[in-house]
Amino acid sequence: MSGTVQDTRRNPARRIDWQQHVVYLGFLAIFVFFAVVLRDTGFLTVRNLSNIVLQTAPVTIMAIGLVFVLSAGEIDLSVGSTVAVSALSAAVALNGWGLVPGVLAGLGAGLLIGAFNGALVAWLRLPSFLVTLATMGLFAGVARSLTDLRSIPVTNGAFTGFFGSGTLFGIPSLVLWTVAAVAFGHLAFRETRFGAHVLATGDNPRAALVSGIRVPRVRLAVLTLSGGLAGLAGLLYAGRLQAAKYTLGETDLMTVIAATIVGGTLLNGGKGSIVGALVGSLMMGMLNNGLILMGLSVSDQMIVRGFIILVAVALSLREKAS
Amino acid sequence: MRTLVALLTASILAAPALAVEGITTGPNGETATPAADLILSPDEVATIRQGHHTAALAWHEMSEYTRAVDRGARDAFADLGIEVVAQTDAGFDAARQKADVETVLAKHPSIILSLPVDPATAAPVFQPAVDAGVKLAFVDNSPAGFVHGRDYAAVVSDDLFQMGKKAADAMAAVLGGKGKLGYIYHDADFYVTNQRDGAFKATIEADFPDMEIVAEQGMADPARSEEIAQALLTQNPDLDGIYVTWAEPALSVLAALKAAGNSHTKIVTLDLNEPAALDMATGGNFAAIVADEAYDIGQTAARASAAALLGKAAPPFLVVDSLAVTRDNIAEGWQRSLHTDAPVSVLEAAK
Amino acid sequence: MARMTAPVLALRDIRKTFGGVVAVEDFSLDIHPGEIVALVGDNGAGKSTLIKIISGVHPPTSGALTIDGADVTMSSATMARAHGIEVVYQDLALADRQSVYMNLFLGRERVRNRLGLLDRRAMIAETARLVEELDVRIPSPHAIIRDLSGGQRQGVAIARATHWARKLVLLDEPTAALGVAETARVEEIILGLKARRIGVLMISHSLDQVFRLADRICVLRRGRQIGVRRTAETDKNEIVAMITGVASGVE
Repeated sequence: MSGTVQDTRRNPARRIDWQQHVVYLGFLAIFVFFAVVLRDTGFLTVRNLSNIVLQTAPVTIMAIGLVFVLSAGEIDLSVGSTVAVSALSAAVALNGWGLVPGVLAGLGAGLLIGAFNGALVAWLRLPSFLVTLATMGLFAGVARSLTDLRSIPVTNGAFTGFFGSGTLFGIPSLVLWTVAAVAFGHLAFRETRFGAHVLATGDNPRAALVSGIRVPRVRLAVLTLSGGLAGLAGLLYAGRLQAAKYTLGETDLMTVIAATIVGGTLLNGGKGSIVGALVGSLMMGMLNNGLILMGLSVSDQMIVRGFIILVAVALSLREKAS
Repeated sequence: MRTLVALLTASILAAPALAVEGITTGPNGETATPAADLILSPDEVATIRQGHHTAALAWHEMSEYTRAVDRGARDAFADLGIEVVAQTDAGFDAARQKADVETVLAKHPSIILSLPVDPATAAPVFQPAVDAGVKLAFVDNSPAGFVHGRDYAAVVSDDLFQMGKKAADAMAAVLGGKGKLGYIYHDADFYVTNQRDGAFKATIEADFPDMEIVAEQGMADPARSEEIAQALLTQNPDLDGIYVTWAEPALSVLAALKAAGNSHTKIVTLDLNEPAALDMATGGNFAAIVADEAYDIGQTAARASAAALLGKAAPPFLVVDSLAVTRDNIAEGWQRSLHTDAPVSVLEAAK
Repeated sequence: MARMTAPVLALRDIRKTFGGVVAVEDFSLDIHPGEIVALVGDNGAGKSTLIKIISGVHPPTSGALTIDGADVTMSSATMARAHGIEVVYQDLALADRQSVYMNLFLGRERVRNRLGLLDRRAMIAETARLVEELDVRIPSPHAIIRDLSGGQRQGVAIARATHWARKLVLLDEPTAALGVAETARVEEIILGLKARRIGVLMISHSLDQVFRLADRICVLRRGRQIGVRRTAETDKNEIVAMITGVASGVE
């Protein structure tokens, strides 16, 4: 007789599947709502919808990094400051030495900050919440002092095309960056041993350790990755705004966390979704867009947005109640 | 509150305006024109009303000050038959302001009013609106590189010199034209506070020979204002009056005075603030608060942008009036500055 | 029956001290293929320390550890696994939010090609085959651990050890948290290991269970090896006396 007893009524896989679809259903519901309510006001135009994707590109890319970090049972609060330092480093290097040094400076700054966080977490065994809380402030200070609070204009046309307003075969570069980051992120997260080790580390670090997974190295890797992706987000901001300033990314942290959580990634590790984070991020952008177009006052926008995020988070975290 | 807002808004070196003695100048050195000079004739108003235009308000953040500007703009637009279709709050984030402007453009507004988060780099933020033919009017600052008349209708701000001068006049009035003064100024390169502080000092020195600034103290970080006030009072316990660059640090000075049991040193500051007004209403240390007419900033910006719809040029830099609010005119002060009733607590106390 | 074969694991004069404190001393034991040996003793008798020595977590202070006749020194759990030794920890060391098949391959995931992409199909197929063979009753290889009962989880942990162990499985309190029916299921799985000619060293506090499963019983008291008895040639009274040291006639 078979050892794998099939009890379809109590198939746990079913319930989890439904959980993972919450974000897509929510996204669809909000989209349909706005499409109906705002049918006359330009919400459904290609221009407006592509604006949403372009506007959310940096947040999406930061959220991909955060999926890895949260899934590994860590957190990265310093992504916003990393964005600012990266964008400013890129802008300064760009104006001084040109395109390639500019890109390398931006990405390098992000990777270095991430590796710094990761080293403290992995080897000094400090909690990532406290480490990145501290480095959030630390690098916000670095960003302020880097150019003495000045904004740095970015005039390099190749750079602003590549990371900002350019297109390839008619597709905006920010869309291409988003697609590329999501594709690579999804592949690495779902289909590689690294992704499996990230999940195992966040799920049960002791089990991961005795299973031969190099837990400290995983922690270092996810935080470095998060820093690198925040660096890329910084480049995208600098390209899009044609300028870098210390305030870039400062207000993004909560949006990034909300997009990630709504997208089905658990705050305490062991479960995550890159595609969910993308949809979560688009959902945040669509909410901002639609509520403005509805003509709501800023206060009402905040109330409605907060309420919807609350509902979405509650639905996507329901698994924990079981 | 107003200055704190503006402080965070403009990056400190972004507005290299020079304060010429006695005259308020714009962020790019423009001469100031009184807001009252911008007038729309009944015919012009009628023409605008027939256009069924729309407007969007893309603010840098939301505060009591922004709300007053916002109300002024909405009321002016209502009079002109212009519908306000969107309001946004960028939270001091230039990237978000860019997204906000892109978003509101989906509604094809005829007008956008805004306070640029980062004037030095705001050109790419507002360029899509210029390209779409939207009429722009700005509060306080215009994006670097933008040309008045071509890219935007006007910049509307305070008459900064007048605010500082009125503070000096109010100080002289309450002290009878003589006494020893403390002077707490904003120690940062920011044209709004620099012009106001400078005007106070210049007026005292030029117009009131019997009044003397005996203690000067710069304040770079508002969070440290109480320590600064404490030090100033320890060294100069016999001051007759203290000027403080804006209301929130002035509250720290009040705290320091109260701690020292000092009820005779008078405080004059700028920008309305409920606790400061309450102290003033109950006969405390606060003697006068100079307030700008924020509501009128919104009114003027709205009118300037509406004029642009008719192809009528507004002056590049329009400034609104201000007034010294004392115990006697609190209700009026609140109305003229913020266009709301003063807080009940303050009105009750002033009775 | 296991008498004639060479031991998979031989411990000779193992001694382990932490600082000045002796945790285990003079410990010697052979475990043969297909043999179940139970390690019994009071709390603090040194059982867990011994398991950690054998699983490579703590190297012994002195003494020799021989696997299939070859002397080995181990400094990590990874090394122990490389020698064919698997451990079922008391907490099971399962990743609760992952599937059964990912847990079976935790840290040793199958990959398809040089790109390092996971070969889920192979892992799922192998899991299905294994759970059937061991009669571990789980809904599917895709089931998430946290949705399984205690017995099913224990079954997964033992199945994992069985899958990877070539020589020896160490079981730390395999049924401590289980009900009667689930305990019976897990015991069947343990007996399945015996049939696969794998050596088993188990810690258990249940003497009934020890007498049901074990071929031999090794008693520890305060870090000292009191004695080893063939299950068939002893009884509970003797073992209890050895554990507590109350009765005479020990050693």
